[in-house]
Amino acid sequence: MGSQAVNESIVLCHSCDLAIRKRALPSGVRALCPRCHSPLYHTPYCSLNGMLALCITALIFFTPAHLLPMLELHFLGSIRTTTVFEGALAVGHQGYWIVGLAVMTAAVFAPGLLLLSILSQIIIVKHRLHSSFHRKILKKLLMLHTLLTQLSMLEIYVISFLVSAFQLSDFASITFGMGTFCFTMLFISTLFLLREYDLEHMWSLLDARH
Amino acid sequence: MQDTDLQLQGKDIQLTACPTCKQITSLTEEICQRCDSALRVRDTLSLQKSWALVITAAILLIPANIYPITMLTKQGNIRYDTIFSGIIHLVQTGMLPIAIIVFTASILVPWLKIIGLTLYLSAITFNLPLSKKKLMLGFHIIETIGRWSMLDLFVISLTVALVNMGQLLDAQPAPAATAFALVILLTQTAAKVLDTRLLWDRLDTNDDTNRTP
Repeated sequence: MGSQAVNESIVLCHSCDLAIRKRALPSGVRALCPRCHSPLYHTPYCSLNGMLALCITALIFFTPAHLLPMLELHFLGSIRTTTVFEGALAVGHQGYWIVGLAVMTAAVFAPGLLLLSILSQIIIVKHRLHSSFHRKILKKLLMLHTLLTQLSMLEIYVISFLVSAFQLSDFASITFGMGTFCFTMLFISTLFLLREYDLEHMWSLLDARH
Repeated sequence: MQDTDLQLQGKDIQLTACPTCKQITSLTEEICQRCDSALRVRDTLSLQKSWALVITAAILLIPANIYPITMLTKQGNIRYDTIFSGIIHLVQTGMLPIAIIVFTASILVPWLKIIGLTLYLSAITFNLPLSKKKLMLGFHIIETIGRWSMLDLFVISLTVALVNMGQLLDAQPAPAATAFALVILLTQTAAKVLDTRLLWDRLDTNDDTNRTP
């Protein structure tokens, strides 16, 4: 199709709808919209095997990060420990279920689903792109991707257990548990995974093999 | 350079970018061929939705700030803390860096978000002669830093789970927590639903640098 060729050489800015001619970029450089300075596109490495490795690493850390105690509080001889999950439940039990749900979504569900989604995307792209059923799943996952990234807030959680530790150290002694280590590792591997991941590139993989 | 040339918008050349997958399609299509989302030249309704969400969030910001957000029982004495008094307490106990982090996340960011979004939406609705570039930059900043308000809720959830020793030492959330959670949810959604391309259409007539041929 003639119009298809035109469409591929033009980019429309998502924030202001300016039409821009697409040019090849050196790696590590991102194109900004000349009118409103919103990011347009960049050339990521996006190697499938690299992403697969990071994704599996993150998933390995995911379970201990949520099961092992995050913080330990020693106060007058009694010890309390907590995990991310228990933190969300504790607030929910006090009747603040909106807060509990928000914490649960941002720190447990969204990151978990995001990692599982990326894992299945990679597997489908590598092995199952010929079946139309799997292509349909890939399409749905790609459509959900932006929402899941916006909902997962691992980086904020990492800062928040530091803040809580400092706040509580005012009247009790606080130690970090094994969960803290696993959670930080989960955060770091997810961070690098998302740096490597490029949604536009994944869409083009879906298009490429009709 | 390209940017001093005519500035064509997608709608001038009969093209539109899919809101979900960014695929560029002809305006004659109604559904994106790649991801089946509905295509529209501009989502004009998004302005109303965004206004509604921002106004609700602004109303909720009042209870979030005047009601206590935590309740601390310490050897039988109960102390209620609002967001602000909690920060004052942190400063008094000599934890200034932590106080600055909490202040940024729980006071600065939500207020900036609501003021910024109101400004942005008014610029579109009332055609205010403000710099579009600065507004857009502000909008991107709001989108990125907005989520950091969640910090306070995470801290509360950890504290509540750890500090539960009855009359001796006990922390519980208080009503402002729900209001605060809703403020974050509503402002984030308001920024997400808004079709920012509307700003660049509306002000074109006032601004010589962005004439459309």
